Amino acid sequence: MSLVSGPGRGGITEGQLPSELRLYVDKHVTYIQSLDKRKDELEYWLTEHLRLSGLYWGLTALHLLGQPDALPRSEVLDFVISCLQDDGGFAAAPQHDSHMLYTVSGVQILAMLDALDEFDERVSGGREKVARFIANLQHPKTGTFAGDIWGETDTRFLYGALNALSLLGMTNLVDVDKAVEHVQACANSDGGYGTSPGAESHAGQVFTCVGALAIAGRLDLVDRDKLGGWLSERQLSNGGLNGRPEKLEDVCYSWWVVSSLAMIDRLHWISGSKLQEFILKCQDPDHGGISDRPGDMVDVFHTVFGIAGLSLTKYPGLVEVDPI
Amino acid sequence: MPKYAEDPAWSDVEPLPQNDGGPNPLAAIAYTEEYSEAMSYLRAVMASNDMSERVLDLTEDIINMNPAHYTVWLYRAKVLFNLNYDLRKEIDWLNDTALKHQKNYQIWQHRQTIINRLGSADGETAFIAKMFSKDPKNYHVWSYRQWLVRRFELWDEGEIEAVEGMIKEDVRNNSAWNHRWFLVFGRDSSAHKEQDVIERELEYAKKAIVLAPQNQSPWNYLRGVLRYAELPVSHVRDFALGFAPADSPDDVRSSYALDLLADVYEEQHQKEEAIKALDLLATKYDPIRARYWEYKKNLLEQPTAAA
Ligand SMILES: [Zn+2]
Repeated sequence: MSLVSGPGRGGITEGQLPSELRLYVDKHVTYIQSLDKRKDELEYWLTEHLRLSGLYWGLTALHLLGQPDALPRSEVLDFVISCLQDDGGFAAAPQHDSHMLYTVSGVQILAMLDALDEFDERVSGGREKVARFIANLQHPKTGTFAGDIWGETDTRFLYGALNALSLLGMTNLVDVDKAVEHVQACANSDGGYGTSPGAESHAGQVFTCVGALAIAGRLDLVDRDKLGGWLSERQLSNGGLNGRPEKLEDVCYSWWVVSSLAMIDRLHWISGSKLQEFILKCQDPDHGGISDRPGDMVDVFHTVFGIAGLSLTKYPGLVEVDPI
Repeated sequence: MPKYAEDPAWSDVEPLPQNDGGPNPLAAIAYTEEYSEAMSYLRAVMASNDMSERVLDLTEDIINMNPAHYTVWLYRAKVLFNLNYDLRKEIDWLNDTALKHQKNYQIWQHRQTIINRLGSADGETAFIAKMFSKDPKNYHVWSYRQWLVRRFELWDEGEIEAVEGMIKEDVRNNSAWNHRWFLVFGRDSSAHKEQDVIERELEYAKKAIVLAPQNQSPWNYLRGVLRYAELPVSHVRDFALGFAPADSPDDVRSSYALDLLADVYEEQHQKEEAIKALDLLATKYDPIRARYWEYKKNLLEQPTAAA
C-alpha cells in the first residue's frame, strides 16, 4: 500500500451543519484501493520504506469500513511474505532491511487475515523465526527494545514487540517484567509518557506505553485519573485533539488519544460528538481519504486513524475497533 | 539523463533494478528516473558489499532525494566506519542535511551514532540552537539533546540557561519546560530535594504563569514540583486565588488555577467550594471536558475522597 498523499484535500465546504456531516464510506474504499495503482508518481517510490505499514493501515481501514475483502487476500499475503528477510524480520518492502516496525506490521496483517497457520505452511517454522527476531531485539539489562541491529530504542518498538509476540502467542520469549519496568521509567510527572525516560509526554508515546501495559496485564500501574486528565486536555475547542500541550490538532491523535482513554476506561471524558465532527470535516468528499486537518492533503495514515477514531467513539455503521 | 551509467567511477557496477514483478512505469518523470537509477546502484553495491568512498557520494545523493529511507542511512554508517572516514566532515554535511529536512528523524539516529563514536559533543549545542530557531518544539531534536546531556554529562554546561532563554522566547513551549524538569529533577533524585532548589523552581513556574495565566506548561510544572517535594497543593493556594478569585466567578483568568483550587479545597475539606469550582469548569471555563469535571465531583461525594 502506497503512502502517496492526495490527490485531494480534506475539507468540506464551509456552512455545512454538523447534522449534515457524514462518512463517505464508498469513497474511502475506492481511495484505498487506488493507492497501489499510482506507480507513475515519484512519491509512490519515495515512500517505499513504509510500504508494509501502509498496507496494514489500508487493510485496517477497510476492515473498519466493513469491506475486508476490498483488497485481494492472496496478493496481500504474497507481498507480506516477499518482505520477510533471512533474519526472520520483515522489511518495509522487498530488498530493504528488517526493522521492528515492519515486522510488527507484517505480523498484524497475517493475524488480521487469519493467515498465521498459512504462513507457517509456506515458510517452515515462520512464526517462531519471526518471534525470535523480535525477542533478540530486547536489551537484556534495560528491558527496552531496539528497532534494528543498530540499537535505537523507543517505546514504539517495545509496544510493537509485545503486540506482535502476543499475536504470535510467544510473549514467553521475552522478559515482560523488565519491559514493564522500562515503561514505568518513561512516565512523567504530568501523567503522560515519553519516548524514553525523561522525554516529553506525547500522545503517541502514551498509546504505546499504555498499550504495552495492557498487553502485559499491568494496567494497575497506571494512575488512570491523572493520565486521563492529561489525555482529555488534548481536546481543543474545535473538537480535534493535539499530541502535546500547545500544539496543533491532528486527526491521527484521534486514534492515539482516544484508544488510550478507552484502555483506561476514561473515553467519556472527551466529547465524542465534537471529535467526530472534526474528523468528518477532514474528509475529501469527492475522491475519498482523510487529512490531518481541514485543507491539507489526504493520505492513508490519517485515513485509517480518522476512521478508527470514529469507530472508537461509536460512529454508526463502522466495525468496532479493539483499542489495543 | 542517466548519471551513474555514464560515470567512469561506476562503470564496473551492474545496477540492480527494482524487482516488483510488473513493467517499470517510472520513465515518465525525469526526477523519478534519477532516483530509480541511484537506487539500482545502491542495491548493487549492497549486494557486493562495496565499501569504497564513492558509496558515500551515492548515499548522499539518495538521502538528498529521500532522507527517510532508513536502509540508506544504515549502509552509509557502515561504509563510514569501514573507511575510517573523517567523522567531523560527516557532521558538517549532516548539519546542512538536517536543516534541509526538518521532519526527518533518521538523521538524528545517524548523528547520535557518529557523535557517540567521535566521543565529543563540541559544537553540538550551537547546532541544536540553529535547529530550534526553525522549530523550537522538534521532538527528535529534544530527544537527541537529552541523550547528549546524559552521554557527555552536560548538566551544568549552560543547559539551564539555554532552556531559560527558550522559555523566555515562548513561555508556552512545553518541550522546553520538559527539558528543564529533566535537568533539575531527572539527574539524581536525592540531591535535588533541597529546599532552595524547590523554592527556586516554584518561583520560576509562578513567574511564567503571571506572564500567561492560561498556559498548561507552567501549571503542570508547578504541580509536578509540589508533588516531587511532597508539599500539599494548598502551598500555592493564595497564588492560585489570584487567577480565580473565589468570590467573583466571572473574573477567572485561568482554568488551570480553578482546577488547582478545586484540589486545594478538597485537601482542606471545603467540599462546597470544591464543587463550585468544578461546576464553573464544567459549565463555563472548560465545558468540552464536562464529563471529566463531573467525574471529579462524584469522587468528592464518595466517603473515601473526603477522608
Ligand atoms: Zn498526523
